[in-house]
Amino acid sequence: MTDATIEVRQLAKWFGPVVALSEVSFDIEPGVTALLGPNGAGKSTLFRVMCGLANPSRGSVRIFGENPRANPALTRRIGIAPQQERLFERQSIVEFVRLAAILHRVPHPDEAALRAIDTVELDPGDTRPLGSYSKGMRQRVKLAQALVNDPDLLVLDEPLEGLDPRQRLRTIELLRRLGNQGKTVIVSSHVLDEVERFGSRILVIAQGRLLAEGPFGAIRELMDDRPHHLRVGTDRPATLAAGLLTTGVVTAARVNDGWIEVETSDAPAFRRSVAAVARDCEARLTEVRALDDDLESIFGYLVDRR
Amino acid sequence: MTSTVAPSSFRTVWWVLVRSISTRGRFAGLSLLGLGAIALGLAVHLTHAGNRPGAAWSLVDSYGLSLLIPVVALVFASAALGDLAEDGTLVYLWLRPLPRWQLALAAFAAAVTVVTPVAVLPLVVGAAVSGQGFRLVAGAAAGGMLETVAYSAVFCGLGLRVRRALVWGLAYLLIWEQAVARVSRGAARASLYINTRSLAAFLARHPPPVNAVAWSTGLIFPLVVVLVAVALTTWSLDRGEVT
Repeated sequence: MTDATIEVRQLAKWFGPVVALSEVSFDIEPGVTALLGPNGAGKSTLFRVMCGLANPSRGSVRIFGENPRANPALTRRIGIAPQQERLFERQSIVEFVRLAAILHRVPHPDEAALRAIDTVELDPGDTRPLGSYSKGMRQRVKLAQALVNDPDLLVLDEPLEGLDPRQRLRTIELLRRLGNQGKTVIVSSHVLDEVERFGSRILVIAQGRLLAEGPFGAIRELMDDRPHHLRVGTDRPATLAAGLLTTGVVTAARVNDGWIEVETSDAPAFRRSVAAVARDCEARLTEVRALDDDLESIFGYLVDRR
Repeated sequence: MTSTVAPSSFRTVWWVLVRSISTRGRFAGLSLLGLGAIALGLAVHLTHAGNRPGAAWSLVDSYGLSLLIPVVALVFASAALGDLAEDGTLVYLWLRPLPRWQLALAAFAAAVTVVTPVAVLPLVVGAAVSGQGFRLVAGAAAGGMLETVAYSAVFCGLGLRVRRALVWGLAYLLIWEQAVARVSRGAARASLYINTRSLAAFLARHPPPVNAVAWSTGLIFPLVVVLVAVALTTWSLDRGEVT
């Protein structure tokens, strides 16, 4: 017997010759879990299979111990905000959220709808059709309809996309609060900094494969341990390269006209020492810039590592 | 704020789908087609020449049952679930604790709700203003309504299952219903148009058209098609993947 809300075992999903998910296995327990991966990594496909919207090609998904496709009644315990922006464009926000409440058979759908709209800080008195809403407002409408039945499991596909910084902060606080209340919240994102702010457990997915899982800190360490490539601009590249190699922090250096590309496995130590080495070499530093600190490079490293 | 009793899920989904398929563009275009039936009825009434009963029957058969109702049903019914599946909003109905058969039935009911005033009502009015008596009106009403429910059930499922349902639906209407079923007696038995036309002709006391079936068959076959089509749509919702 397990406490896991979601159990995914050997899950694979393909569309003709295209493999969207391959041999993915993990458990998700109550609290906030972030699914991190670049665009096209398979996050939305994984969400769709998890919620029963799509059939797995192989493997299994259990939510609260049951197959989500076999039991529509299970959706009573689930709130989902899919990635696509489109809503029922001619409805007002109250109509849309109330519809979700009615279909979930919430006892007092009007009150529940108003509560959910209030939670996401939108105006229930707004009678405009949803078609006129901005992207950020649509995100909050989707969140409101997902919250209206007070679900035990919240599945949110890129919930912070399109939100302004203040709304992002409020949404992150809200999701952390729900996680602390014992609900299972799973959010997807392709932005590392966003995920960091959830302070959650994360699953890293790329090219349809699960690359890493664990607390954010451990994954961050794993990412920081990889070889980093930096561009160091200077007026004396050869001298500075020689000086940096003597420190032991730099494992390789390639001299170019007016700059050096260095490789190091300890970027913070490098950043601490580079100015002193330049001073000792009487070299002038014009720039120090990471060449591969974007998420795509990190995922590439994790993919190559496996 | 006062508490309210939650309306039924079925009624709610039905109304959502009625609103979803009732776009201004569809109404404007297809209402013109409906008004054509009334205009033709008036023309039959005002004309002094030729065979008025034959012309009035042509209005019901060749315009109403062959063109108006099938086309209007195709446009609205294929959109009932098809539009939602295409734009991704079906998830907001599918991922709810709602039995799939209720969703299929609500889509079917929504299509019938919209097709009836846009197509059946003008046809019945057209038959009435043609001045050829109550029997023609009864034939138009019964045949038109039966055809509406049958095509709505079929095209609801088609919209869910295939992309470009309008193209496939038109191909089915032109090739099967209007060509093959008119020349093949065996195919005629499986044609919704031939069945409903046979019932309409019986009620209108019009001579049985080519390849006609018994009026009782004309009544029962479309109803069986409705049951099978709604069951298949339910199955598709249950087994298919939701985008």
